[in-house]
Order: sequence, then C-alpha cells, then structure tokens
Amino acid sequence: MPNVQIETLDPATATLTLALDIGLYPRDVLYAAAYVFLDRAYVLLDRRDSRFAVRLRAKRPLDAAALRDLAGEFENELLAQALRHRVVDANQRIIEDVVAVAIAGATAGAAPVVASTPANPPLIEATGPEDGFLVDPHGIARPLEPGKETTE
Amino acid sequence: MTANDTDAVTIRFHRTLYSEEAIEEAAAAFAGLASFSIRADGEHHVVDVSAIARDVDGDVVAEFCNFALANSARGHRSGNA
Repeated sequence: MPNVQIETLDPATATLTLALDIGLYPRDVLYAAAYVFLDRAYVLLDRRDSRFAVRLRAKRPLDAAALRDLAGEFENELLAQALRHRVVDANQRIIEDVVAVAIAGATAGAAPVVASTPANPPLIEATGPEDGFLVDPHGIARPLEPGKETTE
Repeated sequence: MTANDTDAVTIRFHRTLYSEEAIEEAAAAFAGLASFSIRADGEHHVVDVSAIARDVDGDVVAEFCNFALANSARGHRSGNA
C-alpha cells in the first residue's frame, strides 16, 4: 500500500480523498501541508483508525488528471514539510543559540537612555503648549527674498 | 459533511485534528453568514450549520471548514512553541 492513497476522485465535484499513514506523517506535518493548500482547495481532515483522511475540493473545476496532479502535489508538500520538521527538530538547539546571540548583540548595541537635567535640557519640551516651534529668536524662519522679510 | 436540505449542513470535525476553540472562533467569524450549533459526539465535534446566506460569493460552509482548520493549525503550532 502506498504512503498516500487516493481513496476517491470525482472530477464532477473537483473532489478527491486521500488516506495517509499516521505513523509516517505526524499531525504537525499534516497541518502544515494542508495549510499550504487552503488558498486553492477546501480541505477537511479526518481520522480513521491509523490513517488520516484528507478531503480536498478544488476551488475551480479540475478534470481527473488535474486532480491526480493535486494529489501528487499534496504528497510532495507532505514530504517537504516532514523534512522541514525533521531539520527543525535536529537543529533546535542551534537555532535557539543563534537567536539568543542575535538578541544579545542587538541589546548591547542600543544607545542608553539619558535622563534630562538642568545642564542637559530636553530638545523638545513635551509639556509646553507650543512645543517651542513658533519661537524664532534667531530669525531662521524669515524668508531671504526681498519684499518678504516679514513672516506671516 | 452532510447536507440535510438546501439551508442546513452537518459537519463532523475529528477532536484530535480540530480544537473546540478553533471551531468556535471560526463560527464567530462566520456568524453573519450562517448559524452554527456545536456539540460533541464521540470522537468528533459536530457542527450543525443552518440559515446559510446564499447571496454571497463562494461556499460559506467550505470556507468555514478552511477557517477552522487554519485556526486549529495555528493554535497547535503556538501551543507547541
């Protein structure tokens, strides 16, 4: 018996049912593969004894050949997700260490927050009614063009 | 999934694959398009869908199933994290 078996295939409703061995494809892998197909098929999962049943109904009409292709793509996705799952499991410690080092490095490089003092006042007075932006003691906002010396 | 008549459908979600919270969340999201009644029956959550809106594009019940699956997958993943 193959790992993934087409149980039913109905081009009239663009529907097929797959049966797969629980021992070969754990639930995480099944979820991940099914998730990938949500944009192009309606997916309903079920469990019968030691096998998962996957019912796929394409969102657009498909003939029998296209439905078999869909089943093959689902099986490929199961394999890809199973491998991904295995790689993540095998490298979990390395992934955690790399992330920890990256976070520690980013934290160490951050500029310290300096509290404002009378000698070191804040650039913007947050409690001021105008935040000081209308005060122009040095005439910076005054236009340089002749005839426009006054600000509005 | 079984259809009783044109406006009522019964869906069976296996408990090991669909969490009750995921189904309830999907039902809440689709509450404007149909009425949902969730009950337990052995190894399954059974959802009776009625008063299904017919004046919308797409298959409301099938989209609800996809939504419940996506919620279950996300919940399972975050539960493992």
